[in-house]
Amino acid sequence: MDRRNFLKKGALYGAVTGLTAGTFGRVTPALAGLKPDTTKGNYDLVAVRGDDLPAMFNRAMDEMGGMSQWVKPGQTVIVKPNIGWDVVPERAANTNPQLVAEVVKHCLEAGARRVTVFDHTCDNWQRSYSNSGIEDAVREAGARIVPGNFERNYRDVSIPGALRLKEAKVHEQIIDNDVLINVPVLKHHSSTTVTIAMKNLMGIVWDRRFWHRSDLHQCIADFCLYRKPDLNIVDAMLVMTQNGPRGTSTSDLVRKNSLLVSSDIVAIDAASTMIFGAQPSDVGYLRIAEEMQIGSLDLSRRNIQRVYM
Amino acid sequence: MKLRHLKKFRIAVSVFIFMILLLFFLNIHNQWIDSVSNVLLHLQFFPSVLRFMTVFFSVATLGFLLVLLLTFLFGRVYCSSLCPLGTFQDFISALSRRFKRRKHKRFVYTPNRKLILRYSVLAAVILFWAFGSLFLLNLLDPYSNFGKISVTLVQPVFSWINNGLAYLLQQFEVYSISPMLPQSLPYDVVAVSVGIFSVIGVMSVWRGRLFCNSLCPVGSILGLVADRSMYKITFKDEACTLCRKCEYVCKAECIDSVGKQVDHGRCVSCFNCFTVCSNEGLYYENVYTKKSAVPVRREETMDSPPRRNFLLTVAGGMLSVPVLKKFAHAQPHAGEPGMVPSGTQLPVTPPGSMSYDHFTSKCIACYLCVSACPTNVIVPSFFDYGLEGFMQPKLDYHKSFCNYDCVRCTEVCPTGAIQQLDLPAKHTAQIGIAKFLYESCIVTVDGTDCGACSEHCPSKAVDMVPYNGLWLPEVNPDICIGCGACEFACPTEPYKAIFVESNVVHQEAIPIEEEDGPRDHDEDEFPF
Repeated sequence: MDRRNFLKKGALYGAVTGLTAGTFGRVTPALAGLKPDTTKGNYDLVAVRGDDLPAMFNRAMDEMGGMSQWVKPGQTVIVKPNIGWDVVPERAANTNPQLVAEVVKHCLEAGARRVTVFDHTCDNWQRSYSNSGIEDAVREAGARIVPGNFERNYRDVSIPGALRLKEAKVHEQIIDNDVLINVPVLKHHSSTTVTIAMKNLMGIVWDRRFWHRSDLHQCIADFCLYRKPDLNIVDAMLVMTQNGPRGTSTSDLVRKNSLLVSSDIVAIDAASTMIFGAQPSDVGYLRIAEEMQIGSLDLSRRNIQRVYM
Repeated sequence: MKLRHLKKFRIAVSVFIFMILLLFFLNIHNQWIDSVSNVLLHLQFFPSVLRFMTVFFSVATLGFLLVLLLTFLFGRVYCSSLCPLGTFQDFISALSRRFKRRKHKRFVYTPNRKLILRYSVLAAVILFWAFGSLFLLNLLDPYSNFGKISVTLVQPVFSWINNGLAYLLQQFEVYSISPMLPQSLPYDVVAVSVGIFSVIGVMSVWRGRLFCNSLCPVGSILGLVADRSMYKITFKDEACTLCRKCEYVCKAECIDSVGKQVDHGRCVSCFNCFTVCSNEGLYYENVYTKKSAVPVRREETMDSPPRRNFLLTVAGGMLSVPVLKKFAHAQPHAGEPGMVPSGTQLPVTPPGSMSYDHFTSKCIACYLCVSACPTNVIVPSFFDYGLEGFMQPKLDYHKSFCNYDCVRCTEVCPTGAIQQLDLPAKHTAQIGIAKFLYESCIVTVDGTDCGACSEHCPSKAVDMVPYNGLWLPEVNPDICIGCGACEFACPTEPYKAIFVESNVVHQEAIPIEEEDGPRDHDEDEFPF
C-alpha cells in the first residue's frame, strides 16, 4: 500500500510539474498535441453496432485502414481470445468463435506467415477449446491452436516499472511471435466489475493466483507495462451483465450488438466499460492505469469512429 | 475345431481383451474402445457382483452370473481369457521364460497343498466384506489390481512419453500431439501398487498362475465351480504316452501326468496341454453325460472350513493398522491471509456416489474414474476413508476441481459405487458445501479485491457482496454443489480461505433458474 501511495503522490507531483510547464493536466505522452484526424486509418477507436459480427468486423477493419497496418507480410501473429470456460458460444463467456476466425483470416490475408491461437483456460483446456467452438473455427480459418495450460511453455519475464507484478511467467507464444492481437469478450466480473482487454491478458501468464493475492487491480495494470497488444478487438455482441465471468445461464446476457477495435488498450476498456453500463473511473484497474499513465480514460479527446450498420 | 487350436483362440481373445482394457484405463479417447470396454467391464467378476448388489436384476448386472455359467460349462475360461490380470501374468511368465535355462520343463505338477491358504484368504475377504470393509477385496481382486497397476504405474510412464514427445515436436512447431495434464498420485498409493505388481510378478515368474490359485478371490470362487464343471480336461488313457509334455506347459501346475489326473479346481482353461500333446491324449469330456464314474478328487477332504485362528490373525493385524488422521492442525495466527486451518473432515466422494457409506461399500478401487476424469480431480487416497475404504479414490480440491458439465466418472464406474448421472442431475448433486473463512480471506485481511472463488464458481453459489468499497465472497449453501472450483482457485497459502466440506450423504441443491435467453439492449447510440 505504501508503494501505491508513493506512486499516487508521484503521479500527482508529476502532473503538477507538468501543469507548471504549461502542458495539459492529464499527461498522456502519446496523445499530447494530437488533433482529431477524420481520414480512414487514423482513428483511435472504431465502434460498430450491428447484427452480423463478421460483417461488423470487416467494416471496423476497413475504417481502421486494414489489418496490414499491424501485420506485415511474413510476420507471425498470436491471437489471444478469451477461451476461459467450458461453455457453448451461446453463453458468451468466451469470445465469439466466428469473430476469432475472422481475425485469423484478416491476418492471413495481410500476409502473416503463421497465426497461432491459445488461452490459459480456467476450466479444462481441451473441453474449453472444443466446446467454445474456437478450436474448430480457427483451424478452419487457417490458424493453429496450441495448449496454454502447461507450465513448461511459460518463460520468466521481468516487468520494469511495475508496482506489484515485477515478474511473471509468460507463455512462449507471446514472446516468440511478432504481433499480438487481443480478442476479449466484454463481460461482468465478480471482483473487478468488468473484464475486457486488460483483464484478458491474465490468460497469457502462468501464476494467476499471485495476481489475486497481490492486489488484483494493481497486477492487471502492471502487466500492461510488460507488453501492450498491437491491436485489441472487443466482442460486445452478447454482453454478460451479471454472474460473470463464467455466467450461469443465457439469462445473464444482454444484446449490446457492438464491436470495438483499437490499439489503445486503456481507451478500448474505457469505452467497453461504458457499453457495459459502468463508469471507467469506477473500475479499479482502469483508475490505476490512468494514474500510472498507461493510458487515458478520457474518451472525449480521442478520435472515435462510430458506425451503425 | 480341433482342440489343439483352442490355445490360439484363447490367446487371441485374451490379448484383445487385455489391450482394449489397457487402452481404456490409459484413457485413450475412442468411441469404439469405450463401447467395447463397457461390455467387457460388465463381465469382470467382482465389479459385476458389486453392481448387482446396487442395481438388482438389470441386464448390466448379470455379468458375474454369465461368468459362473461359463465356468460351470467349460471351467475357468474367465481366468485365461476375460481376466486382464491373468493375461498380464501370462505375459510376465512368457517373458521370464526367455531367461530361464530349463525351457522345456517350465512347470511341474504340485500336489494341491494350498487349499487351506486359498480358502482362508477367500473367507477372510468375505468376512471383511460382511463387516463393511472392502480392504482385502481391493487388495486382492484381479480386476482392481489390473486397474491400479495400469493407472498408477503404466499411465505415468505413458503420459511421460506422450508429453516428452509432444514437447519435442513443439520445438519443431508441430502441435499434433496433445500433452496430458499431470496426474497427482500419492506416493504411498504408488508404493502399494509397486508392491502388488512385484508380488504378482514374482509369483508368475516363479510358478505361473500361482496367484490365481492361492490369493485371488475370483480364482478361488471359480475354482469351486470349475471342480463341478460340465466339460473337463481329461486324459485319454489309450492315447497318452506318458511323455509329460502337458504337465510341463501347465501354468496352473494342475496336471498330474503320471497319475493321469487334472485338478480342475486349479485349471485355468488355458488349453496349452491340448496344443502340446502330439497324440491327442487329452480331451474335453462332458462328465455329466459320461457313463463311467468320474475319478474322485483326492483332496476333497481338504476342503475344510476356514481356519479361524488364521483368519483372526489376519483380521487383527489389519485392524491394528493405524487409521491416519489427515490434518495436523497448525496454530492459527492472524495478520495474513490463509493462516486459518481449513479442509474437509471426511473425503469428498464423486458425484453420483450418493453417500460416504454407499461409496466406500461399493468401490473396488480400480481407479478407472481416476484415469477418466478430465480435470484429474479424482485421486487415489490411502487411509483417508479408514480401513473400510482403503485406497479408494476421493476428490482433491487442492489439485483440481470437478468440471461442472462433466459426468465422465459416473459413466465409467463398473461397480455402481458411482451411479450414472445425466447433466441436470449432476448440476444438483450436492457432494459437499463450500465454507468461507472470513478471517482468512485476502479481501478482509489485505484489503484488496480478489474474488477468485466466485470467478470460478459455475453456479454463482459463491457470489461477491459489497464490503468497504471492495467485493467479499458470500456462499449460498442451497445452490452450492461442492464442485471445489472455489477451493482450487483460492490463492491463500498455506490454508485456503474457502473450502468444500464433504456431504456424508449427498444432497440435492436448488437448480439454477430456467434460461430466459439474452435480453435486448435499450440504448440507441454508443454511450461515448
